[in-house]
Amino acid sequence: MYILGLSCYYHDSSATLLKDGKIVAACEEERFTRKKHDSSFPLNSIRYCLDSQKIDIEKIEYIGFYEKPLLKFERIIYQHLHSFPLSYKLFLSSTPSLINEKLRVVEKIKKELKYKGDVLFVPHHMAHAASAFLVSPFEKAAILTSDGVGEWTTTAYGIGEKNKISLLKEIKFPHSIGLLYSTITAYLGFSVNNSEYKVMSLSSYGDMNTGTNKYYKKLKQIIDIKDDGSFRMDMSYFEFIYKNRMPSKKLCSLLDGPIRKEELITRRHKDIAAGLQLITEEILTKILNHIHKTVKSDNLVMAGGVALNSVYNGKILAKTPFKRLWIQPNSSDGGTSIGAAAYIYNTILGKKRNYVMEDAYLGPEFSNEEIEYFFDSNKIKYTVFKNNDYLVKKTAKLIYENNVIGYFQGRMEFGPRALGARSILSNPCNKKMQEILNTKVKHRESFRPFAPAVCKEDALKYFECDMPIPDSADFMLMVYPVKKEWREKIPSVTHVDGSGRLQTIEIKDNPLYYALIKEFGKLSGIPILVNTSFNIRGEPIVCTPYDAYRCMMGTGIDCLVIGKYLVKREDNLQDKWDSEKAAID
Amino acid sequence: MKDFIIGFKIGFKEFGENIFLVVNSILLSFVYFVGIGLTSLVAKLFWKKFLDTKPDKKLRTYWSNFNPEEKPVEEYYRQF
Repeated sequence: MYILGLSCYYHDSSATLLKDGKIVAACEEERFTRKKHDSSFPLNSIRYCLDSQKIDIEKIEYIGFYEKPLLKFERIIYQHLHSFPLSYKLFLSSTPSLINEKLRVVEKIKKELKYKGDVLFVPHHMAHAASAFLVSPFEKAAILTSDGVGEWTTTAYGIGEKNKISLLKEIKFPHSIGLLYSTITAYLGFSVNNSEYKVMSLSSYGDMNTGTNKYYKKLKQIIDIKDDGSFRMDMSYFEFIYKNRMPSKKLCSLLDGPIRKEELITRRHKDIAAGLQLITEEILTKILNHIHKTVKSDNLVMAGGVALNSVYNGKILAKTPFKRLWIQPNSSDGGTSIGAAAYIYNTILGKKRNYVMEDAYLGPEFSNEEIEYFFDSNKIKYTVFKNNDYLVKKTAKLIYENNVIGYFQGRMEFGPRALGARSILSNPCNKKMQEILNTKVKHRESFRPFAPAVCKEDALKYFECDMPIPDSADFMLMVYPVKKEWREKIPSVTHVDGSGRLQTIEIKDNPLYYALIKEFGKLSGIPILVNTSFNIRGEPIVCTPYDAYRCMMGTGIDCLVIGKYLVKREDNLQDKWDSEKAAID
Repeated sequence: MKDFIIGFKIGFKEFGENIFLVVNSILLSFVYFVGIGLTSLVAKLFWKKFLDTKPDKKLRTYWSNFNPEEKPVEEYYRQF
């Protein structure tokens, strides 16, 4: 039985294909259209899912959509009724797409796909909950979902047991941790629904002490947090109900200045980011303690954009009574296509759970023949590795010699993190590597750290992890302190506060990547690599060999290790270009 | 002549799109001020609150029920 899950028309459109309850393919539309966070109908992703199984649309028994469009429409109408006449401009700009696209999902699916089967609508936070619980390793678990907003819900909790999910309580729009975080993201001059993680990184530079950070105290004035973690915001500080702009003048006044535009980041901005992170952690800790009392399970699963706050994720097991944790690797709306499909199979149809999401390698892959054809037809110079052993040894040596490597192997990752299939790898022991990557390759803010990739059994030697290390660390979802004695030895993956957002690797999930890290360890004495996403600033992670080659030639990446081939930038300078001129953040 | 026809087609398409925008804006403005506006004003006269926008210190919790009971399959065919 095939079930297709879809998510689209907000941000991060995606499609997931389930075969007899197991995810066989999943991809976000942005990887094909090359538009970051693309929200359009995921036609390319659907085609990929069907092609990967060599089936056509007639084989799909159900399509699951990730929200209830009319409930969302009701909420939007309520926003306008509440804010009349302030929402006039928003009404004019947003209503056409609402009527032409969002309320015509069934027609769109049937027309674009020539699909004649059933389309089911799963409530947004139920889709998040299903994406977290039904593919987790737990038989029973407490569930927390938190994001900007679904139909009405912004935060919900409940319990999952076997193939059933029961969401018990919710916080409704406009009160939302996600929207609070996005508002401050906008205030700090970063893009909403894209750069919240930059604010999280910036918070480490600010005052993370609740007693001394004045912006923590100021932000507390705009939100009332109860002992059970439930909260309500004072909406006079926000404009998102009736405008495309998020912070109000009152909020700017509270935070001692206007919205940041081009000016340099100051101590004040860092403290605001830290204050926001402190409040987020306070709310989530209270919520999780309350959930543990109510649900009575030591297992916790999470999804929703807020669950991508890896700084807090690394503190959950220490700050709450939960003993085990699993977070959906694609926790933002992209992952709801998994939830919609799994909810139909397991909960609506009542089928037993038979799948655990142990890795995120669910996207397209390219054979050596396809890669070679691309090189030959474009006159690209390359060499061939004799076998995987040679590939591992040569690549490790190149990294050890401080080359920056574009690493393209196997199926692409599903979700926001590059996990060793579409990654840029480099030497963490080189003090200048962070600067090299930031200036030559990633062209990003200097305050943002790079992630360390380490084999799971070595992680405890270098990092102060929870024990046992949660599987979520495999998906780069947990930040842990780097042990003090190693901080100076791996400077390019140690953040200013001494932490690292590590990726742990098990041999069963990615044997080639695992072997590469071990081989690098033999050369350097430290089996850790810098792993950052393989993309040009402002673009999605690369998907095809063309994207990878274009990215290398537009940035300062030295070599591309793709399939069994090695391509050097210096051998192909005729294709050199400057990606920074075209970058849009 | 060919260039003229192509240019004419592009211009006519742009003209059509502009007309669409104007008509759309007029219709949407009518819906906004008559549909949304009147409903909003009348509802507010009767103290109807569409959204909770202020914290309420008297409340013990802001959690509300999610309707946890199991739903029939037909429920999922609906868009509401």
